[in-house]
Order: sequence, then C-alpha cells, then structure tokens
Amino acid sequence: MDTIIQQLFNAAQLGAVYALIALGYSMVYGIIRLINFAHGDIFMLGGFIGLLLTTRFGWMPFYLLLPLAMLLTALVGVTIERVAYRRLRNAQRMSVVITTLGVGIFLENLVRLTVGPETRQIPAGLPSAPVVWLQQHLGAFVTWDKLLIILISLALMAILWLVVNRTLIGTAMRAVADNKDAVPLMGVNLNLVIAVTFAIGSALAAAGGIFYGQAYSIDPYMGIDLGWKAFIAAVIGGIGSIEGAVLGSFLLAGVEVITVAYLSSNLKNGIAFGLLILLLLVWPWGIMGKPTLKKV
Amino acid sequence: MSTKPPPEHAAPPPELTPSRVRFWMVCALILALALPLQLSVDAGLFPDVLNPYYLHLLTIIGMNIILVASLNLLNGYLGEFALGHAGFMAVGAYTAALLATKALPSAAALPPVLGTCIILVVTLGGAMLMAAGIGYLIGLVTFKTVGDYLAIITLGFNMIIVNAIQNLDFVGGPRGFTGIPKNTNFLAVAVCALLTLGLLRNLIQSSFGRVWVSIRENAIAAELMGVSIAKAKNWAFTIAAAFAGLAGGLWAQNQQFITPRSFDYIKTTEILVMLYLGGMASLSGSILGVVAYTLLMELLRNLLSAFAPQLAEWRMLISPLILIIIMLTRQTGLLGNREWRWLRPRQGA
Repeated sequence: MDTIIQQLFNAAQLGAVYALIALGYSMVYGIIRLINFAHGDIFMLGGFIGLLLTTRFGWMPFYLLLPLAMLLTALVGVTIERVAYRRLRNAQRMSVVITTLGVGIFLENLVRLTVGPETRQIPAGLPSAPVVWLQQHLGAFVTWDKLLIILISLALMAILWLVVNRTLIGTAMRAVADNKDAVPLMGVNLNLVIAVTFAIGSALAAAGGIFYGQAYSIDPYMGIDLGWKAFIAAVIGGIGSIEGAVLGSFLLAGVEVITVAYLSSNLKNGIAFGLLILLLLVWPWGIMGKPTLKKV
Repeated sequence: MSTKPPPEHAAPPPELTPSRVRFWMVCALILALALPLQLSVDAGLFPDVLNPYYLHLLTIIGMNIILVASLNLLNGYLGEFALGHAGFMAVGAYTAALLATKALPSAAALPPVLGTCIILVVTLGGAMLMAAGIGYLIGLVTFKTVGDYLAIITLGFNMIIVNAIQNLDFVGGPRGFTGIPKNTNFLAVAVCALLTLGLLRNLIQSSFGRVWVSIRENAIAAELMGVSIAKAKNWAFTIAAAFAGLAGGLWAQNQQFITPRSFDYIKTTEILVMLYLGGMASLSGSILGVVAYTLLMELLRNLLSAFAPQLAEWRMLISPLILIIIMLTRQTGLLGNREWRWLRPRQGA
C-alpha cells in the first residue's frame, strides 16, 4: 500500500513536469498549427538557466529564482520566434517544422559547448525533509520538495487557465486559435498574441526544467527525450487543448512509472512511443481534442 | 507549350549525347578513378598524396549519398515528411552485421576477390530485404496519416527500432555490436552509390515513379486518375527503406562497430540537413548536398583545429545554422527540382 502511494507521488511529479512542457506544445500548436520541435530544448535551456542562476547567485531564494529563470527563458523563446519562425509563418508548413528541428539542435549544441556535456543536478532550493503527516497517516515516504514541485506546478497551470480563460490576451489567443485570418481584421495584434503564446510556453517549460533538475538531473540532450514524451502527452490529451495536455501528461507519467516499477526500465521509451503510434492511428484527436473535418 | 507547334512530320531534334550515354560515361569515369585510387591506397603507394583519410571521407560521402537520395524519394518526390530514415539504416546495419559474423564464413576462407564480392552481395542483399520488409510493414500503418502526424509516426518508429535493438541482447544491446569484419571499401561503396542513383533515376522517370510526383502535386486528382495512393506511397516507402538498409549494411561493414545510439534522431536530422541543403526532388541536389556538407564540416574541423583548437567543437553549431538559414532564405536548397544532365531522362522531358 505504502509503495503504491509513493509510486503515485512519483508519477504525479513526473506528470507535473510533462504537463509544464506539454502545455507549450499544445498552446503553440493550437494557435499557429506548428509542432515546435525545439520546445523540448527550451525546457532544457530553462533548466540550465536555473542552474546558472543558482550557482552564480546562491543567495537568491528559490521563489525569486524560479520566476527570474522563467522570465529569461521566455525572452529566449520570444527571440527564437521573432528571428526564426515569424518569417516562415506563411511559408510551407514543413519549412517551419524543419527550422524548429534546426533550432533545437542549435540549442543542444550551444549548451553542450558552453556548459559541458556532463549530467548535473540543480542544488536543492526546496526543503528535502520527508512530509511527516504523510508518513504517519499513510506510511508513505514523500519528501517536501516532491510535494512542493507538484503543488507549484498545479498552481502555475491554474494561473495559465485563468490567463487563457479570464483575460483579454487569453481571449485573443483563443480567437487566433479559432481563426487566424479573421482576428487581425478585428484589430488584434497577431504578432503580439503569438509572441505572448511563445513567452508563456517557454516560461512554463523553464519551470519544468528547473523542477526536473531538482528532482532528477539535467544534461544538454534531455530535451529530445523529455520533449518527445511531453509531446506524446499533449497528443494523448488532444493537442491544442490545455486541459487535455495536463490530463495526458499525468496519464503518460502513470503508465511510465508502472512500466518501470513492474516491467523494465528499458521498455519505457518503446511503450511510450508505441502508445503514441496506436493513438494517432485510432484516436488522433485525443481525449480532449476536437475531431477536425477533412476539407476537400 | 507557348511556342508554335512543330510541323507534323518534322523529325525530333537530334541529340548529340543522349542522357543514357552521359550516365554511363559518368559511371565509367567514376569507376575508372575509384579502382586505381582504392588499389594504390591499399598498396600504400604515394602515402603523402593518397592519404587513407581522404578515401575514408569519400567512403562516407558515398554512403551518405545513398541515404540522402533514398530519403529524397519520400521527402522530395513523394512530398511527405518522413523522419525515421536512420531507423531503417539501423535495421540494415544490424542485419548485415549478423549475416557477416554469424552466418557467413570469413573472407579469408574464400577466394580473395570473389569471396568478398559474394559476402557483400549476401550481406547487403539481406540488409536491403530486411529493411524493405520492415519498411513495408511500417508503411502499412504510417500512410493512414499525412502531414505532421506522418512525421511524428515515422520518428516514433525510428525510436522504437532503436529501443528494440537496445533490448536485444544477442546483438549486444545498448553496448553495441563489435567485431564486424571490414568487407566494405571505397570501391564497393562507389559501385553501390552509382547503382542506387541509376536505379532511382530510372524509377523516378518511369510511369511507375511518376505516380509519386502526381500524388505530391495533387493527391485527389491522382486518385481520380486511378492511382492507388496507399499502394504507391507504400512502394516508395519500401524502396526508400531498402536503400537505407543498403547504406546501413555498408556502414556496419565499414565502421566495424555499431551501436543503437548512432541511428537515432540525431542521425536522421543529419540526413535531413544534407537533403535540404542539396534540394528537394533532385538527385543531383542529393549528391551536391552530401558533398558540400561533408566537405564543409571537414574543412571547418581542419581550419578550426589549425587556427583555433579551443573552438574546434564549435562547428557543431554550424550544421543547424545552415539548416535554419536555408529554410529562411532558399527553401529549395542548392538544386531543388533541377537535375544535372546525366541524371535527366532525356532532353526536354
């Protein structure tokens, strides 16, 4: 019983990180129908920016460091959109996808060359003592940082939900997702809306990167693997849907944790990608997504 | 079309050198250069001029030409965005490695030249068949989707193939496959590359292959003309996979050591960079893209290590930058949709 609860928390922690990445994929896809292959590497970059800030400014408390790293990563995300993607907005779809691949490899190699290829861990910014209450009542050994990572991630997702559903810019984002051509005619600044989307997505990914670096470890190539996992989660939930991305992330994390705990950790990736292919074939619009009609 | 139609019985303008002749001339020229080159490097003649390193570079170029040209069939002529080419390369490499080490006698036990030829034909044929078979099966499911989803599914299969090999212990698992005999040399790669180019050139210009271009241009119109889209796409996928398997088989017997990790997403992206540098739907572009990319990377490495050794690794940043700049400035690549004359079917066609 206690191990099951512990595994549940492990899955929730991994799922929270997946969700923070998956939201960026889903929002960008929802708005400009672009699969941003570089998003996993933005997540990696966020982790390394967090690492840099903790090592250079050790005095900085975690609750100041997290927003600062998110802000910096958001700036990088917006810059990439401005420099590399905006000019291709009306070009062939695949040209942009290839550009995102190039940006991703560029970021990986840049971090590898400047910071080094080693696996690192972000120094603890959160208390790592076990949660006494859970230990006494459920017999589960869960540390505070794990619980806090889950809670802060959920809070960030709640803020995102409020921004998208309750603010003017959120309304504009949903409108662009609905009809990209008509919205500029209503006086909405399309470039601004897309830039804000990239900023939010990158900031959330940075939070994910820092959490991942605290809970596990970071290396320059982690964006490929985790980015793809998060993307799978977004597809499972229905790409373009915020609730779907969160739901899919926790589901995928659950499947992975079960696979590792009861089968073999070597099968983890195979099962995740097998799940993706199966889903794309039988249920391509996912749990929360809307089926699209094929226009002739 | 805009010019005045020729008189009814006028003979077609005489062609000085039909492209078929040109093609054979180019093949003969390359082989005539490759054979003495290989022999003199093997014999250790002129070690200062004929460095084995240059031959190694040419071998890599030849193998990459096979990979890029076959991917061009899918991404260029068929117009789909397939992202899993390295997976088929892995299938071919492991099949050839298994055949060469477990099933066949070593080249030393057979007559010198003929024995190596037989081994190569068997291993490479096995690699192509295996890759084609797996490509056919994957194609059956893959082409139920198009566009973004097709890209994701092919990449997913690439990851699954790599993951499966990592879990197969009899091929070494994640540690890799060691002790593969070196049966491939530059001459074998050159012959294979020329065969690939010739086959692809004829295929693409045949009525069988023009169907692919018709699907790219307008799938609905092609379907109305009686083209079975699923079948045609799967043929293209199977053929491309077979050639990727061929390149993998050559690769394994040239490098003598393979690991699953060398066939993942990063390898696929490298193939893509060369493909887009050269240009879509152009075999000439594939050749030029591979040569330009390989030479550029080697040049950068030599220049950087000569003048600024501490920056030698920074060339890793160049290849993604090339990709981004091509996409931003010249999306057709160096030679998109154009062919050198020796790769064209006939003048004006």
